Amino acid sequence: MSCSKFEADVALYAGGDLPAGGVARIESHLAECAECRALAEDLRGGQALLGELRDEPLEEAMLAQVHRRVLEQVRRAGFSRRGALAPLLALAAALTLAVVLLWPRHQAKPIPAARVEPTHLALNAPTPRPNIVPVRHRVARRHRRHSPAAQPGPPLLVQFVTDDPNIVIYWLVNQKPQGD
Amino acid sequence: MHVRAWGRENTGDLAAFERIMSQCERQVLRVALRLLNNPQDAQDAAQEVFLRLYKHFGSLDETRGYEPWLYRVTVNVCRDIARGRRHSVGLAEVPDPASPQPDAYHDAERAQQREILRRGLSFLGEKERAAVVLRDVEGLSTREVAGILGSSENTVRSQICSARLKLRDFTGRLLRRHS
Repeated sequence: MSCSKFEADVALYAGGDLPAGGVARIESHLAECAECRALAEDLRGGQALLGELRDEPLEEAMLAQVHRRVLEQVRRAGFSRRGALAPLLALAAALTLAVVLLWPRHQAKPIPAARVEPTHLALNAPTPRPNIVPVRHRVARRHRRHSPAAQPGPPLLVQFVTDDPNIVIYWLVNQKPQGD
Repeated sequence: MHVRAWGRENTGDLAAFERIMSQCERQVLRVALRLLNNPQDAQDAAQEVFLRLYKHFGSLDETRGYEPWLYRVTVNVCRDIARGRRHSVGLAEVPDPASPQPDAYHDAERAQQREILRRGLSFLGEKERAAVVLRDVEGLSTREVAGILGSSENTVRSQICSARLKLRDFTGRLLRRHS
């Protein structure tokens, strides 16, 4: 009788890995098959030997060498990482300082080119593009000062035109009543 | 879930890393030895495993324990090393028991059988070898082995079943040759 179809189950059974459903079937087969009983015995012997491999002592020198090499590399990595960070931190600090020092001058450039264009707008009214005459801010103030109206006027639209044609800044200003 | 932030300059973390390494280095080196069957390669593998542990120390979930992670990384590192350095193991390399004393005869015979088994492990495919080392040498459950290898329990059962039968054939053949 060929027992090859039982081999796999016997191998699992010998190691305690056969699912519960198959145990009764294989045990009843083992009870009547000497060949499979011998196989199961061999496999159990192999299992015991494999278990002994776990208990074999390791050479302490091997362990110590691994331990020492790992710690050496970890410490070296830690130090080199700190060493590598120092120039980066210095560069970052220098860049930050440069940005802080240069920032106001850099920002001031486009502003002198700005022009102020005052005009009157009714709030919520459709806003046909006013005929804007670029004037300097001081002129706008003078214009407002000479306005005859004693009541709050409509909001003043101030247009800042920068050097960049794509950037136009609109500023709506509520005018104070004049003459008081 | 508690995942600790890792500061390498923090001496407390370095001490914790060293403590875990001390606890696990035997297990890692033993598994590497069984998977690679070469002391030098096993040392290299263990070293690489702990350097990876150092690298990922802060991102590992301590509550799950380090063991499954270490087993998984050990298996992966050993697989990479084995692929890089092919060591051929000939049957003739298995040593004869060295003239055992009568009272030590049984121990010497067992030692020879273990040696044959170690050689047999190196003839298995890498997946079968990993499965049988974790299950039968390390004594992990089928479920744990499946988790470590990223396989299903059925796959692991199939691998250990095949590995056990191959090892039985291998040791039987070699023991017959030596006798």
